[in-house]
Amino acid sequence: MTLAETSARSVEIYLKSLRRELSDLLDEDANEIVEEIRTHIFDKTTGETPESVAATLAALGTPQELADRYRTPELIERARLARSPKYVLRRTMRRLGRGLLGLLLFSVAALGCSLGCWLFLLGFIKLMSPRTTGVYGVWTKHDISFNWQFGSSPNKPNELLGWWLVPIGILLGGAILLLTFRLGYWSIRRFWTPRTRQEA
Amino acid sequence: MAVTKLSAPDPAEKWEVQLRKGSLELAILAALWDGRLYGLEILRHLETHSELVVVEGTVYPLLNRLRGLGLVESEWVESGSGHPRKYYSLTEGGRKRALDMKRVWARFAASMNDLLKPLNETKSKR
Repeated sequence: MTLAETSARSVEIYLKSLRRELSDLLDEDANEIVEEIRTHIFDKTTGETPESVAATLAALGTPQELADRYRTPELIERARLARSPKYVLRRTMRRLGRGLLGLLLFSVAALGCSLGCWLFLLGFIKLMSPRTTGVYGVWTKHDISFNWQFGSSPNKPNELLGWWLVPIGILLGGAILLLTFRLGYWSIRRFWTPRTRQEA
Repeated sequence: MAVTKLSAPDPAEKWEVQLRKGSLELAILAALWDGRLYGLEILRHLETHSELVVVEGTVYPLLNRLRGLGLVESEWVESGSGHPRKYYSLTEGGRKRALDMKRVWARFAASMNDLLKPLNETKSKR
């Protein structure tokens, strides 16, 4: 491995470590910090009076020290708020009217929320009222049908999951809800994060 | 049993570090007074125009904090070197804050100089 390759590798290790240390911040904040430090290292180690990579990294401090200086209460609070379901829902609603993509993502989010909530509740209701709640299926030669219900009617003999509905409903419903919020959060970052770049 | 006494930091040195640290925010706002600069340009400006020994790992987080406070704004600008640079410039609030801080600094420095006059006279007497 040449000296240049070793230096490039040590820069990448430093930046990866810094990104990891900043993982409690918003992705967009953490990525921007890492990119700025990358630019700084590049500028210091090239140009008219280049410094060594080792000296440049030493002047910045360890990734942990540098990350600690960045980690202000305001940035942590911003990250906490941005990861809350309430924020994701509000941003998705705000973007609903802006194009086909917004409408599509909102439809997926609405479907995910409804399905997740329904399964989650079904699991809980089965736990509290096992005789009247279930998923039912009918197989005949020409017809396959499923339905789920809860209410006053006692269980029919063609109940499919039985007690398994409790863990499956709660876990699957929870997973769908989580995935839906992750999708909402990801789409906000991916499609609707403003970034200003200009030509010098 | 031998007891090793850890050397405490020199109080004068510690005071100087605190003084420089406290004035860094004003120094950065002053550096941006004439126009936008990117991080390394700010560092070099401070090194050239002041006696501030600036720790690089301190300036970038401070710039980030000033941006959070709305005193500076930033934008990524494509540069000739092939990678974008993040430029900082003062906001209206930042300009006002710099002027306020400058006023406080000037008043404080004048009163301190006044207070230190006897020390100068003692030195000249010797």
